[in-house]
Amino acid sequence: MATEAQLQSSRYTQTFIAGLWRENPVFRLLLGMCPTLAVTAAVKPALTMGCSVIFVLLCSNIVVSLMRNLLKPHLRILMFALTISTFVTIVDLFLKAFVPDMSEALGPYVPLIIVNCIIICRAEACASKNGLTISIIDAIGMGLGFTLTLCVLAAVREVMATGTVFEISVMPGWFVPWTAMSMPVGAFITLGLLLGLVNIISKKT
Amino acid sequence: MSKIKYFFEQSWLLITASFCFGLLIAIANAAWSPRIEANRIRKLKNAMQSLLPQAAAFEQQDTLNIKTTKGDTFESSLFKGLSDANDCIGWAFQCQGPGFQDKIELVVAVDENFEAFRGFSVLFSNETPEFGDKIKLPEWRSQFSGAPAEELQLVKTGPMDSIDSEIVAISGATVSSAAVVKLLNNCVQQVKNEMIHKGLIRNGN
Amino acid sequence: MDTLTTLLLGFISIVIINNLVLTKFLGICPYLGVSGRIDMAFGMGLAVTFVVTLSGTLTWLIDHLILMNPSLAYLHLEVTRYVCFILVIAGAVQLVEMYIRKFFPSLYESFGIFLPLITTNCAILGLCLFINLWGIDSFPQAVVLSFGAGIGFTMAICIMAGIRENLTFADVPESLQGAPITLITAGLLTLAFMGFAGMIKG
Repeated sequence: MATEAQLQSSRYTQTFIAGLWRENPVFRLLLGMCPTLAVTAAVKPALTMGCSVIFVLLCSNIVVSLMRNLLKPHLRILMFALTISTFVTIVDLFLKAFVPDMSEALGPYVPLIIVNCIIICRAEACASKNGLTISIIDAIGMGLGFTLTLCVLAAVREVMATGTVFEISVMPGWFVPWTAMSMPVGAFITLGLLLGLVNIISKKT
Repeated sequence: MSKIKYFFEQSWLLITASFCFGLLIAIANAAWSPRIEANRIRKLKNAMQSLLPQAAAFEQQDTLNIKTTKGDTFESSLFKGLSDANDCIGWAFQCQGPGFQDKIELVVAVDENFEAFRGFSVLFSNETPEFGDKIKLPEWRSQFSGAPAEELQLVKTGPMDSIDSEIVAISGATVSSAAVVKLLNNCVQQVKNEMIHKGLIRNGN
Repeated sequence: MDTLTTLLLGFISIVIINNLVLTKFLGICPYLGVSGRIDMAFGMGLAVTFVVTLSGTLTWLIDHLILMNPSLAYLHLEVTRYVCFILVIAGAVQLVEMYIRKFFPSLYESFGIFLPLITTNCAILGLCLFINLWGIDSFPQAVVLSFGAGIGFTMAICIMAGIRENLTFADVPESLQGAPITLITAGLLTLAFMGFAGMIKG
């Protein structure tokens, strides 16, 4: 019995860590690219987006996992779409009510969480096949991995574009801001280079 | 009968889920929409306060229907700025018009006799970052403070600190600058006429 | 004549100036995944164009006839906007899938998994939301913008496929092969397209 419990908890840890590095949704699975490029001009919107995705991922994984034995195969995608869009609507209302300036900065990318490939893929690959606990841990792991990735990318872009991180100035006075970083060009190129870096690091380990 | 039974058998989950989710969204909306509305009003009041700093209070005078240059109408709330002694020290109203790619929404303040502008604040715009976005900068907006409340003209070059009815465009953002001037000319004229018509200001001023 | 000019300018603006992939970051996932070969890219582009035109017009209709209907305003139906939109899109994709499976089975085979994946294409939901955000009031304009968005996506993905086909002969460093070099190329493409900004006045 002790070994079974140990196996169980090690499986949980494995699932959790997978979402952070080995199966990082952005760098390894290449999912959820659209918000990654769009909201990472500064750290604050990136963090808001990350937290919203964690919430939606958690709720949708819980609901899908509870429903997994009742799902009819050909209506699966519709059910997922319905669940995810409900929770995204709730998050959108929450953001508009409590953090209106972030809601404006994120704009149309909040409802685009609905079609964020991460959430649908995790619902399909994990929540519809596993129990409640594994689904929850997977959601938190993936969500945290996504948020951390967004923040790293946003930090790089924000420091180069305006010399600040989270609106706190960190660069010395002689720094010339590189405005292209806050535009689509900077987004694509930074993500491409970061992906290359991650490839190098994972080859070495 | 069996067809209907088959239909229900397949989709009962979808239908039940739709009801539950609909209820969830309705609850969230009912709980938070007063807050969302309060946020919107607070933003408007903050903008008006920054334009008419001597005002102790703002009283909503009227709601006017203004036609934009695109042909559609919007509702503009007219506010009267009151000093401590309850004297009118200025008027503030909303303006809207097409911008470079999206609409531009401003709140404009004029003095008590509608003779000169006190400035404007951008409530919403989606112009190009670092170019059209400069319409939000105080340096550019200061050209409008004190400018006569008549037809403004956009010029490509000139002294920015001379206060008259000539507005110098932002270099590299001619379209956005022209959009602001055009929408101001369009809205201000209509608001002025409406106010004269309702006897709020005297004609010939 | 005026409406024709508006429609034409709207079309050009969304294909070139406000291209959904290169300026609004929509549709990146299939953009990275399917742009390996020009024929696949073109096929995907056409499928997306069809779905997006259909979804754009349907969602505009639902938006204006039901959700924003002043006589139903007391029901506050706008909150269900996202749910309605995504259900319409999912339904449209199912329809397209059934149609292609029946009439073009070979095409259906070659598409494989990508066809149902169009549902999660950000470009489609993104376009429906943008049409709502930009306050598009006329039906012809909504149709033209939806169609234009699809054409813009097709154009961007075909350009990328052309470049990638040539990249296979270039000496790309190992760590940058695949997605990273595609992203960097996309960034440079975005830079190039930025030159079109401001082409249309007001």
